Parts: sequence; structure tokens; C-alpha cells
Amino acid sequence: MIEARSLTKVYGGKAAVDGIDFQVKPGMVTGFLGPNGAGKSTTMRMILGLDRPTSGTVSIGGRRYQGQVWPLHEVGALLDARAVHPGRSAYDHLRSLAAANGIARARVDEVLEMVGLASVARKRAGGFSLGMFQRLGIAGALLGDPGTLLFDEPVNGLDPEGISWIRTFMRSLAAEGRTVLVSSHLMSEMALTADHLLVIGRGRMIADMPLSELMARDSGGRVEVRSADPQRMAADLRAAGAQVTLEPDGTLGVAGLGSRQIGELAAERGHVLYQLRDVTASLEEAYFRLTGESVEYRAAVPVAS
Amino acid sequence: MSARAAAPGAGSAGHAPPAGYRRAGAALAAEWIKLRSLRSMLLTPLLGTVASIGVSASAVRHNATGYSHLDAVQKAQFDPLGTNFNFVVLGILLFGALGALVATNEYGSGLIRTTLAATPQRGLVLAAKAVLAGLAAFALAVVIVFTTFFTGQAILSGAHAPHVSLGDHYVLAHLLGNVYYMTAAGLIGLFTGVLVRSAAAAITSMFGLLLVLPVLADKITPDAVTRHTVPYLPLNLGDEMLHHHQGLSPGPAVAGLAAWVLVLAAAAALSLRGRDA
Amino acid sequence: MSAQAGTVPHRGIRLDSRLRATARSEWIKFRSVRSGPLALSATALTVVAGAWLLGDANRGSYLAASPAGQAAFDPVFTVLQAIELAQLFVGALGVLTVTGEYASGLIRGTFVATPQRAQVLAMRALVFAVVVWACCTAMSFAAFFLGQSALSPAKHAGIGDPGVLTAVSGAGLYLTLVGLLAMFIGVLVRHTPGALAALFGILIVLPVLFLSIIPGKITQNLGEYMPGQAGEQAFHQLHSGAYALGSWPGLGVLAAYVAVAAFAAFALILKRDA
Repeated sequence: MIEARSLTKVYGGKAAVDGIDFQVKPGMVTGFLGPNGAGKSTTMRMILGLDRPTSGTVSIGGRRYQGQVWPLHEVGALLDARAVHPGRSAYDHLRSLAAANGIARARVDEVLEMVGLASVARKRAGGFSLGMFQRLGIAGALLGDPGTLLFDEPVNGLDPEGISWIRTFMRSLAAEGRTVLVSSHLMSEMALTADHLLVIGRGRMIADMPLSELMARDSGGRVEVRSADPQRMAADLRAAGAQVTLEPDGTLGVAGLGSRQIGELAAERGHVLYQLRDVTASLEEAYFRLTGESVEYRAAVPVAS
Repeated sequence: MSARAAAPGAGSAGHAPPAGYRRAGAALAAEWIKLRSLRSMLLTPLLGTVASIGVSASAVRHNATGYSHLDAVQKAQFDPLGTNFNFVVLGILLFGALGALVATNEYGSGLIRTTLAATPQRGLVLAAKAVLAGLAAFALAVVIVFTTFFTGQAILSGAHAPHVSLGDHYVLAHLLGNVYYMTAAGLIGLFTGVLVRSAAAAITSMFGLLLVLPVLADKITPDAVTRHTVPYLPLNLGDEMLHHHQGLSPGPAVAGLAAWVLVLAAAAALSLRGRDA
Repeated sequence: MSAQAGTVPHRGIRLDSRLRATARSEWIKFRSVRSGPLALSATALTVVAGAWLLGDANRGSYLAASPAGQAAFDPVFTVLQAIELAQLFVGALGVLTVTGEYASGLIRGTFVATPQRAQVLAMRALVFAVVVWACCTAMSFAAFFLGQSALSPAKHAGIGDPGVLTAVSGAGLYLTLVGLLAMFIGVLVRHTPGALAALFGILIVLPVLFLSIIPGKITQNLGEYMPGQAGEQAFHQLHSGAYALGSWPGLGVLAAYVAVAAFAAFALILKRDA
């Protein structure tokens, strides 16, 4: 378990991370979301002991990172996939990491096999594609078979097969009881992978809750109804207290009533229903709603909606 | 549909791509912007200038105050220009290293790929870098040489030691020779940097070629081999041009330095064309 | 949590096995890139070939020199002088061993694998020093023998002559210390061109400045105590100036500079963010 208490990091007068508290629990995938510059990377670097917090603490399994005896056996991290010497082979790169923590040579071959880089292991890393760098980084995180895993943008540069693989892999790691923290901008992937979400904005925690709760709470969920007599259906629904929008093609968008209630109401009033569909907003919409004010770097060109 | 929008390659903003010579101007402008936006590229020449003036002034002052203690023979041999410009031996190191830095700073970050994508004509990119580096080196050299000259001669005259002024015989030629020397060193550094592509290798080569190797070779007494190679090292060519110890005219030395620059330029152009970015 | 084959249980690990693990990791890093063999080959070529050239060239000038000149002739130093050029390659290697990791960002991965940063630096320096010392001592001896045979029948030295063994071993030590100085400067500056400029400035530019360009007693003295000038006494057989006493004082001065740089490097590496 990763635990942060009043964690703060100030750079030149500005708080990149401002007194945040959170717990990343084992057995589930925790997603770490936030706009660019919100403090995600800084937080991850502090977890790994790369940056010293200005105040507050962060610990893994109750211990500071520097207090871990063989860190790679406790924590595996993928922070920057390109942080490899271009003249060195993937095999030697992993071997140097393994040697630093007393991990045997055989394990290096194992992880290379796991990520699918065994065939290019002896080639210079300088010639790798982005996807290959990512796989190498993941391999490095897995070397010590650690109980805690941190991934920063793990799907960046992976092909669809790779994205599906890493998603399944992260879920299986969590299912084994490990602690998995994933930071990503890819909302669609995050919605499929994460169980719990930490949302950070301008250095502060904005949300800390299960994924389903966030989707339900901020999703502005609606129900789409298509029936034989849309006008009468709309009137009945409004009488029951719902807000109804009537589309030109006869589809009703209903807010305020669940699909179950609508179905029962329709049966009571003798409506014929062609379609009754829950429309939950995407994680992307929920995220935008949540972080709207916290975005620091915003493009001027409006996104077509 | 307007004629502009229908023109091929017009781009969404309706700008037509520039004509050939404008491309050269654009490449030059791009190189200048890249150069002046790097803090290290502005700071290092500034520090180098201050250091050069300081070193020159210090050396001149020592010699000036010591002048009155010299005997008649030494007084006759006193060289006001020489003592003023002794520092140039180190000055060319500064220029060589700067040239190497201008060339190699794009390779480390991978910016070279963006540059070559923006301007695929590699000869043009190299020419733009060379023109820019040459002009910048020339300007910096002029500042350094003339400032140290006026400072140094002022110190000498203040101490009642022999001094010269700009109008004197051969003085302007000597000053311009120093400017030429340092500019050439900068270009040698630039083209070496393009050839080896690594800042470490380029800077090491500059220090080795411009100072350490000639000094070392100097300690080897001339024999058949060294007689034909050592005098053509840049340091010795520069020395020959400025002080003509052999009593020859400086023309061949000037040509020799130019040859270094041109040969390295050709090699750099071939290498840039032939290699992947 | 599954226990995979090949991982080590994490209870009861002693400090010395952690040091050994770090040292092993640093050795793998050193030997798995081209810059090590390249730089050391360039050094060997310069020193050994240079020794033959210098010996050959000085044979004639010795025989033509005056008795005073002949008495002052130092056969060991004359032949090993190419070290003045070779030190550039060793220095560049020392700098790159540190700044290369900052440039690629690998330094973060290193500190994540081994958060005890002082250990990382210490083991990296140790591995580097051992390799460089072994190679440079071997090449110094080779250069010595080659150079002396090129010098004869002019004044040349045998390995058993007084001060010779010290001088030739001193050459290997000198290059090792220069390499270490370079490493620590690399930690302080963290940027390849800057660290190279600082190193070469100290080793080469400052002595030229103090000994050739700015005249005066103070600068002369200052110049002799510069790390390069002092350290070079290590491979002199005959000593003069401030080092009339011998090779070890000169080497000691260089070692003092290295110690100061090391102290600063260790302090900064612990304090700064990665």
C-alpha cells in the first residue's frame, strides 16, 4: 500500500503538490488522473525518492523509499521509457538493474520473454521504436516481482495488441493482490482498467473514489426512450417529475428517472416501447466536468463537441 | 473557390511556400533564433569576452610594470602587440569549443530531426549554420580583439612602455589577423562537431587539435616527418601568420587556415548528406 | 505474491552484499557501452605510439645537446609526455560515465534501483578507477620500454634505475586520478559540454594561463600547483621547481584536488533532486 500524508512539494515559490493525502490500496488498479502540470509526475517521483518532499510524508508498505532494502523487490516503476543509454543493449540495461538488486540473470530473460522483446534483446536500445521502449520499461518494472507497481503512461506508443495486453496484465497483477498505480491521459483505457480513481488538479486532490462512483455521480446519466407515441410518453414522464428532451426523430432523452422506473411507468400507462437505454456519460465527460477549473495549459482552439 | 485556395501546397492559411532564395533566408533565420534562445550560447561568449579582456589586461600590466626593470637588450625586444595578444592561444580554444557546441547541441536532444524535416536540403542547413556561426564568431572576435587592443595599449602607455596605435605600420593587419584566426577556429569547431556529432568527442578533439597536440609536437625536434606536418597544425599556422617567425609573408599561413576550414566543411557536408539524421 | 525463480528473498541482507550488488551493476554498465573501450584504446594508442615517436625524435637532439642540457634530460618523462594528450581521452570518459546518465535520464532509473546515492557514486568511481588504473599502468610500462629502446644509444633508463619504477607506476596513477577528477566534476556540473569545459579548463587552460601568458612570480607558483602540473611530477624521474622532492608530493597535490571535488560531489548528489 502507498500512503501519502500532507505531501507537499514547492518549486521556486509555487506548490506543485499542495498537502495531498491519499492511499493506494492493494488488490485493485488505481488510476491517477489530472491535467498536465497538475502534479502527477512530481507525486510519483516523491513516492520513488527521486524528489524530496518539502513537507509531509509518503511511504510504501509503511516505509520510505530509501528505507527499502532491495527496492526493486518491493516497487517496480515505469516513469520514463526513454531513460535508457542508447548505446546499450536492452539485455545489458536490464542486467545492470537486476544486478543492483541481486536479481539473477535468468529473471532478465524471463521478463524479456514476458514483454515480447526476447528477439531484440541484444540490439542497441538506440534503435528501438517507442513501443519497444515502453515494453523495456515495463520489463524493468517487473524484474523484482514487486508487490507495488507504478506506471506513468504505460500505453503510450503501444499498438492495439500491446494496449490490450498491458490492460489485462495490470488487472491480473492487481488480482494477485499487488498495489497498482497507473497514471494516464487515455480516458477510454482508464475506464476499462481502473477500479479506483485519484484525480489531482493544481497540486490538490479533487477526487478519491471508486470509478463507478465517479461515473455515476458526475456522469449526468440519462435514459434514451423510443416509443410508439413520443408526445404522450413525454407528457407522462414529465408528470412523473422527469426532465424530458424530445429529439426530432422521436427519441426522448430522460433525466431524473432510472430506466427501471421508466419501464414500469410505461407498462402502467400502456405505452409500447421500442428502446429503453441507459446512457452513462464517459469517464472523459466526468473528468472534464471535475477538472474544468483546474486545467492550467489549455489550447485556444475549441474542441468540436 | 478562390485561385489561392486551389493552388497546390498553398496550406490552410493560404500562404504560398517561399521561393528558393527565401528558403535560404528562412534557414538562416531559423538558425539565428535557435542560437540566441539558448542561455548557454549567450552566456559563454559573454564570459569568454570578459575573461579574454581580463587575461590580456593582466598580462600586459605585468609586462608594463616590469618594463623599467629590463636591460637594454630585452627592452629592444619588447613586443607591445605580442604581449597584448598572448591570450589568443586560449582564445581559439573558446571559439573552437563554441563552434563545436553550436553544431552538436541539436544532436543530443534529437532536435536535428526536426531541423532537417523543416529544411530537407541538408547542404542548406549546414550552410546556414556555417554562415551564422561564422558571422557570430567574426562579430565576437572583433569585439574581443579591438577591446583588448585598446585596453592593452592604454595600459602600456600609462606605464610609459612602448605601445602602438591603430594607424601604425601593420597594426591593423595584425588585429584583423587575430580576428581571422579566431573566426577560423570557430568554423573548424563547427564542422568537426557536424562530423563527429557528439559534443564530448567534438570538444575533446578541439582541445587536442588546437592546443595539446601542437604543444606536444613542439617538443619533438624536427625530422623529416614532423617538418612537413607539424607546421600545418592550426596553432602553428596562426602563429606563423601573426608573428612570421620564419620571415616569410603571412599569405601561405592565411591560406593554410582557410584550407582547414574548407576541407572540414566539405567533409561535414558529405557526412551530413550521407548519414541518417 | 508469487515467488519467481531467481529473485532473492529480502530478509537479512547485509550492507556488504548491497555494495557488491551496486558494484556489479556499475561494472555491467561500464562494459556494455562503446565509450569505455574506445577511450581506453585511444589512450593506449596515444601513449604507446607517442612514446616511440618521442623517443625516436629526442635521440638526435640529445646527442646534439650541451652537457648541461644532457644532464637535465629526463628520459622517463620525455618518453611518457604523450600522456598530456591522452589525459583528454581519459578525462572525457570520466565525465561521460556520469553526465551520460543525466543526459538520457537513466540517472533516475539508477537511483530508483539503488536509492543510496552515495553508494552508487562510490561504486561507480571504484569500478572506473580499477579499470582505468589497470589499463593505464599496463600501457605506461609498455610505453616506457618501447620509448627507452627508441631512445638508445642516447641517455635512457632501465626499469631498475632510481626513481624509474615510481615514475612509470606514477603515470598510471596520474591518469586514474585525472579520470576520477573528471567524474566528480561531471557530478557537479551534470552537463556534458560544461563538465568537459570545466575539466579541460582546469587541466590545460589554467596552466597555460599561469605559466605562459600572465607573467609574474605569483602566477608561476600558482601554475605549478595546478592539478595537471603537480600531478605530472608523478612520471618525472628528475624533478625541479616546487617538486624537487619527488613524484609523490606532486601526485598528492592532484589527489587533494580530487578529494575536494569528491567531497563536493557526494554532498551535492545526496542533497539535490535527481
